[in-house]
Amino acid sequence: MGAIGSGKTTLIGRLVERLKDRFGVAVFNGDATTSTDADLIARQNVPVVQIATVNGCHLDANLVGKALRKIDLEKLKLIFIENIGNLICPAEFPLGSKARIVVVSVTEGQYMVRKHPHMFLGADLVIVNKVDLAAAMEVSVEDLAADVHKLKPGHQGHPHELQERYWFR
Amino acid sequence: MHELSIASSVVDRVLEFLDSHEVKKVITVRLAIGELSNVEAEQLRFCYTAITQETALENSTLEIENVPAVVECPSCSYRGRPKYWADALSAAPIPTFECPDCKGTVEPVEGNDCAIKAIQFIT
Repeated sequence: MGAIGSGKTTLIGRLVERLKDRFGVAVFNGDATTSTDADLIARQNVPVVQIATVNGCHLDANLVGKALRKIDLEKLKLIFIENIGNLICPAEFPLGSKARIVVVSVTEGQYMVRKHPHMFLGADLVIVNKVDLAAAMEVSVEDLAADVHKLKPGHQGHPHELQERYWFR
Repeated sequence: MHELSIASSVVDRVLEFLDSHEVKKVITVRLAIGELSNVEAEQLRFCYTAITQETALENSTLEIENVPAVVECPSCSYRGRPKYWADALSAAPIPTFECPDCKGTVEPVEGNDCAIKAIQFIT
């Protein structure tokens, strides 16, 4: 989950790249209108289902249930579900997933976490993305992280090996 | 958000109940709305008034009872109100999952739901 343009598809793409040779991975891409995200992931030759919500601002368990019937579950260990870019409604609709990851990028500004506390309270993992743009955006990654910790102290910061993202879990 | 769909679910459930009872008119529907459910009472009332027109619920009162959040801490067994984030520049203090006693992470145990508590009617 995350705002429009926060980097959800890119993150899933990178994770699929690293995991697909180890076990069966599939991806459900929620998108209001286009299949661009699903097409991008499908290039990696993993099962992909595009869930078009048209005017819908979030996925729900029913839509995910329908997507599950479109793929062969036998060989799968992990399914990534990309929700619609939106920091409000998706928080309200549990999809039956094991864990929830929220991606927030510094290009969304300094106050995304406190503006959308419900979304972050429900997150098992928060990823602060595009930190290389923090200086240009005049956004403090530390303050953004501090906001996450204020809501949920269990999240701890781990600088990611790629240095381009900052992970909290 | 999505108060219209919540209001229609409430109205559908009440109408379902009326089907199996001899009811002339509904006077009041009472809801319990949890603090953590993020249901917006004002919007819910507006939607309720709009969709109950020309039904047995027309002109009935929607009473909303606010259910405060209760959290529990798995590490220190604190149970009670959550700690609020008062200086978040928001319109109202934001409930957090930080334990007020040990600063660990709490889990919400009450205040997540939205439920119909009572229906008052004339037979």
